[in-house]
Amino acid sequence: MAENSAAGTILNIEGLNVSYPVYETDPVRALRGIDLKVREGEIIGLVGESGSGKTTLARSIMQLISRPGRVDSGRIEYDGRDLATLGEEELRALRGNDIAMVIPNPRTELNPLVTVGMQIANVARYHLSLPRKEAKKMAMAMLEAVQIPDPTRRFKAYPHELSGGMAQRVVMAIALICSPRFIISDDATSGLDVTVQTQVLELLQDLVQQQGASMLFITRDIGITAHYCHQVAIIYAGEIVELASTQNFFDNPQHPYSVMLLSAFSHNPKLRGLWTKVVDAALEGAAESGCYFAARCVRASDKCRAEHPDMREMTDAHSVRCHHPVER
Amino acid sequence: MRVVRYIGKRMLFIGPQLFGIILVSFFLVKLIPGDPAVMMLGPLATEATLTELRNEMGLNLSLVEQFYIYIKNLVLHGDLGRSWQTTRPVTEDLFLRMPATLELITLGLILGLLIGVPLGVGAAYLKRGILAKFSDYYGLLAGALPDFWLALVLIFFFYTILGWVPPPLGRLDFFTIAPPTVTGALLIDSLLDGNWAALGSAAGHLILPVVTLGLISGGPILKMTQSTMDRMLESDYSRYEEMCGLPKSIIIRHALRNSLPSVVTIVSVLYGFLIGGAVLVEIVFSWGGAGQYAVQGVLNADINPVLGFVFFAAVLSLIIYLIVDLIYFAIDPRVRG
Ligand SMILES: Nc1ncnc2c1ncn2[C@@H]1O[C@H](COP(=O)(O)OP(=O)(O)OP(=O)(O)O)[C@@H](O)[C@H]1O
Ligand SMILES: [Mg+2]
Repeated sequence: MAENSAAGTILNIEGLNVSYPVYETDPVRALRGIDLKVREGEIIGLVGESGSGKTTLARSIMQLISRPGRVDSGRIEYDGRDLATLGEEELRALRGNDIAMVIPNPRTELNPLVTVGMQIANVARYHLSLPRKEAKKMAMAMLEAVQIPDPTRRFKAYPHELSGGMAQRVVMAIALICSPRFIISDDATSGLDVTVQTQVLELLQDLVQQQGASMLFITRDIGITAHYCHQVAIIYAGEIVELASTQNFFDNPQHPYSVMLLSAFSHNPKLRGLWTKVVDAALEGAAESGCYFAARCVRASDKCRAEHPDMREMTDAHSVRCHHPVER
Repeated sequence: MRVVRYIGKRMLFIGPQLFGIILVSFFLVKLIPGDPAVMMLGPLATEATLTELRNEMGLNLSLVEQFYIYIKNLVLHGDLGRSWQTTRPVTEDLFLRMPATLELITLGLILGLLIGVPLGVGAAYLKRGILAKFSDYYGLLAGALPDFWLALVLIFFFYTILGWVPPPLGRLDFFTIAPPTVTGALLIDSLLDGNWAALGSAAGHLILPVVTLGLISGGPILKMTQSTMDRMLESDYSRYEEMCGLPKSIIIRHALRNSLPSVVTIVSVLYGFLIGGAVLVEIVFSWGGAGQYAVQGVLNADINPVLGFVFFAAVLSLIIYLIVDLIYFAIDPRVRG
């Protein structure tokens, strides 16, 4: 992969802090000092448990943080432009066109009263200024590209008439129709059963790579990233705790949390549920001064509770935020 | 075809529903004190003539027998009895007066829609703008002001002071020749007749009562539109459309389309309500509509017009609700199935 020459970086996030104000108490700090670079053509996996801030990061990139969230500090540069400085119209021209999002619950997020064909066509129509007929033709081609069975019929279908897998393909078609350069997939397949999930993911990966786009691939299932991503970023309590090439990461996961994810998250849904519950409790008591993970960490020392660790580059393409990283 | 099956099922229920409505209203109306015989013959009538008249009208029979006769006449002959005040069959009277009311409230509600929907959409979209403030006050006022009072104020300004509109005395000027009755709605009838003088006069007379009803009904329509649009603009699919970079105008249009069922519902409720509820406005403008006819009946122990009015209003309401369901079918593919 091309090294970080300025031209090769499509997305550059620096020191991003996002919080959600809460009535009469401290705000929820959903993202804390996120630094992340995505190069052109690169697929980067973002893994973390529920509530770790993945969706918040995705929406921050789209400049559409849900209310009442707000950016406290930091910047997001897309293609060399600071997104915060862009106006509403410029952002609208980017969204769905340059930066597209594949969403997790297509059946509630697609408009129930509009045929899926028109929903795909609308995106092309307004971004590419196509006449209606052209846009429809393009949408039809896109439905074929995402391998929907019987596309002519599905074109006229309404969202409620589709299966989960088909709806997911429709959402992919919407995301890809304008050939965006950056795609965010937020937990896109978590609702599907395993075989359909694999098909859809493979298709998504193929299409993204065909178009030479980059992707931020958000998931709770760390196992998936091994197959589809060039890099893996682990996010915990709004903070990236480990960032490595996929190869390095799976060879030698260094953050205790990563190890925990790998051992527990991969295939046992019961354990997964358990972890999710633990994290809320841990977050509540997380000392602002020490390592956020200390309360749950088997390796935690007094230093961990007192001093917040910085991100350290351990080897080439492998950084970790931990005082006592796991050795091989 | 689900629509056809649905309508069929609806039709099956119409009979029993109407029967129930007549049953209840018959006995309730009979509870209104007042002896029509005394009313008809005046205070100087002798007891003998009164009894004779009562027997003639069937008032000597038991309530159940009276009800049986009423239903029999209705079902077999479409006969709703006579009004002793007009001395004409109630059906004829109502066919003459109901269109006057319907023309009035239909136009009033159309105006209400024209006022309420844009304001509601605007207020939902520009949450903190002047428009939202204005909509708040307007909704409040429209809910608080009595319609007849508003009518009187409008008459005072636009007739008495400015003289822009004809006097509030009925549907046409005295010297205008009415077009032959086809639908009973004067605007349509005079158009069909090519009678421009009547068209102008009818339109002029409609302005103030329609504005009154439009301003009043615009309030609830606005509130409903605003709250539904609020919800729709916050909904998952609106946010997704935003994420796809679709223009604001499209997002609003789609949200409005998703809000339509609620707007249709409130309009249908208002329509059903105004058939009788516009009576004060009718009285202020001497409109001679169905509501006024029914109230005259109540005041003069003239029972048949009252019952006839209830029957007509019930039939109209059922038709309206059927239309509403058909609109739902047209709007929402999920109901269409
Ligand atoms: N609109 C909001 N208002 C208040 N707090 C919010 C809002 N959205 C998210 N949060 C909080 O921010 C934190 C991060 O949420 P986020 O949705 O980004 O997590 P996530 O990693 O996407 O979780 P999941 O895997 O369940 O989707 C959570 O603590 C959540 O409670
Ligand atoms: Mg999420």
